[in-house]
Amino acid sequence: MMTQVLNRLIISIPVLFGVLLLGFCLLILVPGDPAIVLAGPTATPEVVEAIRQEMGLDEPVLVQFLSYLGRVLQGDLGRSLISNKTVVSELGAAVVPTLELMVACLIWSIPLGIALGTLAAVFRGRIIDRAIMAVSVAGVSLPIFFICLMMIHFVGVQWRLLPFIGRGGPLWTVEGLRHIALPALSLGAIFIGPVARMTRSSVLEVLKLDHVRTARAKGLSETQVILRHGLRNALIPVVTLVGLQAGYLVGGAVVTESIFSYPGLGRLAVGAILSSDFPLAQGAILILALGFILINMVVDILYALLDPRVQA
Amino acid sequence: MKTKALTLAALLLGTSLAQAQEITIVREVDSNNYDPHKTTSRAASEVLFMLGDTLVSLAPDMQTIEPGIAESWEVSEDGTTYTFQLRDDVAFCDGKPMTADDVVYSMNRWTDPETKSPVAWRAGEVESVTATGPHTVEYKLKAPFSELLYQLTQSFGTIVDQANVEALGDDFGVSGFNGTGPFCWVEWTPRDKMIVERHEAYTWGAPFHENTGPASMQRVTWQIVPEENTRTVAVLTGQSQISQYVPYIALEQLKSAPNVEVVQSDLAFWTYFMGFKIDKDTVSDPAVRRAINLAVDQEAMAEDLFFGVVQPAYSYVSTEALDWNSDLDAQLLGYDPEQANALLDEAGWTRGDDGVREKDGVRLAPTAYVFAGSTWGKISEAVQAYLREIGVDLQIQAFDATVAWGKLATQEFDMFGMSYPYVSSGDALNLYFRSQNMPTPNRMNWNDARTDELLLAGSTAITDEERADSYGQVLEIVHEAAVWLPLYHEPMVIAQSTDLETVVPHNIYGAGLYKGLDLKFRD
Repeated sequence: MMTQVLNRLIISIPVLFGVLLLGFCLLILVPGDPAIVLAGPTATPEVVEAIRQEMGLDEPVLVQFLSYLGRVLQGDLGRSLISNKTVVSELGAAVVPTLELMVACLIWSIPLGIALGTLAAVFRGRIIDRAIMAVSVAGVSLPIFFICLMMIHFVGVQWRLLPFIGRGGPLWTVEGLRHIALPALSLGAIFIGPVARMTRSSVLEVLKLDHVRTARAKGLSETQVILRHGLRNALIPVVTLVGLQAGYLVGGAVVTESIFSYPGLGRLAVGAILSSDFPLAQGAILILALGFILINMVVDILYALLDPRVQA
Repeated sequence: MKTKALTLAALLLGTSLAQAQEITIVREVDSNNYDPHKTTSRAASEVLFMLGDTLVSLAPDMQTIEPGIAESWEVSEDGTTYTFQLRDDVAFCDGKPMTADDVVYSMNRWTDPETKSPVAWRAGEVESVTATGPHTVEYKLKAPFSELLYQLTQSFGTIVDQANVEALGDDFGVSGFNGTGPFCWVEWTPRDKMIVERHEAYTWGAPFHENTGPASMQRVTWQIVPEENTRTVAVLTGQSQISQYVPYIALEQLKSAPNVEVVQSDLAFWTYFMGFKIDKDTVSDPAVRRAINLAVDQEAMAEDLFFGVVQPAYSYVSTEALDWNSDLDAQLLGYDPEQANALLDEAGWTRGDDGVREKDGVRLAPTAYVFAGSTWGKISEAVQAYLREIGVDLQIQAFDATVAWGKLATQEFDMFGMSYPYVSSGDALNLYFRSQNMPTPNRMNWNDARTDELLLAGSTAITDEERADSYGQVLEIVHEAAVWLPLYHEPMVIAQSTDLETVVPHNIYGAGLYKGLDLKFRD
């Protein structure tokens, strides 16, 4: 197990280097000039030039990249061009809300998706199966922004049940819960569909296997058969799917956070890119990539826990 | 357990967020920082007016200079020395009394080349600023600057605290700001929110405020909500009590909501226009520029694209602006496509087979750079359609804001779309029409010695009449030359909760709520 974790860690080093290089290149290739953006619409050429020199943008690209790499290795991601706060502190402030959003999203959507998928498999071909599959198709095909706007329209405006702007505080506070509810419900909605569909087909697959037949032959109740012998084996592909979907979750978080003005990483990244805030955008890309690598590592470990064959 | 769950559910479902004397203002974008000398953004001005004070204040009529930190002032006969008598009861948020030394420090920091302030020019050509007494400041200029008092009303002239600036270093206006305004800095999370709290000792608001302090609001949260529909419903549902950033399309809905009041200022000191790069072949002929001005129906655009909320513009600054030359009113170019066609025919621009005019091998197909997004998208498309009628084939290139400023600093385009705030005609003209400001912000390459001379005369004028006369002449020259195609003047529109007393919208630099002293819940 430890070897596996170590292997994953070693593999992630070149991946991270690639992310750094890519993040740097992308922003160099984008035709926006941060000095002009910073100087504002009424600035004279002298002001723009002064800002460019101060930011080191007049240096050759390779020099800029190497000095960036050197600083990153020392844990210095620079300062935001816009707020002048350190990138580390800006990212730090945004990571917690995003983690909270992901937890709040996954905590209800995955169990619900699995439950619905299992239910659909058990009642295969019956009306309940069709209803669940119809809902899950909607979940898969509706764009996240549409779900967000519908949530705001109905839950926020028509019924006035929940707030839809910003973050109310940490997750364990009442205001925190109230504020995170709508973004988490919207973001989770895109998760239920794929999870339910994958669980359904996976459970159906497993229920055909010999060990399930044996379990039934032993005289176990159908519930025990499904929960103990069916579901555990059926969950392996679901875990893979959740790992893969984590990428969509990050993308979805960007949209969800923007619409709900939720101060997380996704919104930070978009804001940084839109305002040509080079250091912050690079930092945000790095953190998002790190998150992705971490999620994949957790998925690998979960595999090993669920399927002893992987450990061997 | 059941009771607990019910209580939690009840708390979760409770809708009222607004607590006594606390409001949330929603807006579209945040500032890069809140250092008055280091930012040009409107978002910064909005908050800085609340956090700090200026020597003098501008009344909501956008013309009258009223006391601020300075209770009175005298200007020497030659117009180069301003002596400000400061109030003796002003204190910073940390309780420290404000003295003449703070004013001197603030002005010196503003104009010090080390500060690299993009707005240093607004302070005039300063020779020295000195404290001649504990509450007296002498502001000496190298040459008279008739706009000085108007410039000093802007947030760039905010009085800062030297100890605070030095203690925070690069983080000044980022992690804190000790000002003398009606509100004090609590916390800023960039791109999310800025929280300010009432300055309890504040009693020195300008005389035109009904409440001169302390503010009624205990706490104000400026919340960034980038999505315009979310901002609209936030005001509709009471999650925000006030905003000047609601889309025009939603105004009717807001007006008909029983809990929302829409307040609009008749003054509109934010102007949208398209400028001509006048040394380009396609638009170097004044006849072409005049024809383009005549071909566009600003009134219909204001009505159809902006629901009649904006004022159609035929002048480069609002005709309500200080020093507007009213002699020009009759000469402004209105909608007259026939005259536009006649003008082009007369000037020798003939239509080709495809209907587009040509002259000496130059095809009348100017390229316009505009900002990507719905506002400039619909403006430029409407202009394109109007110009098609007179044989001008406008090519639109829209750029994202991150790229647009860079593209607008080039010499590649023939026309460009822009909007800007100003306090007076002189403010606008000095920025855009001085030859030394080429290529930005004078993106037209308007290089005219007479204009420069008159702008200098206007800015160094000692009397109001002289200043108005000089600027009036500049206005005449540039309107005659049709250097811009003015489109519309944007008024200050504020959507507010009916729980609040009706606010008086201000137009200063687009900061509609100004000091926030009017913000008050109804009894």
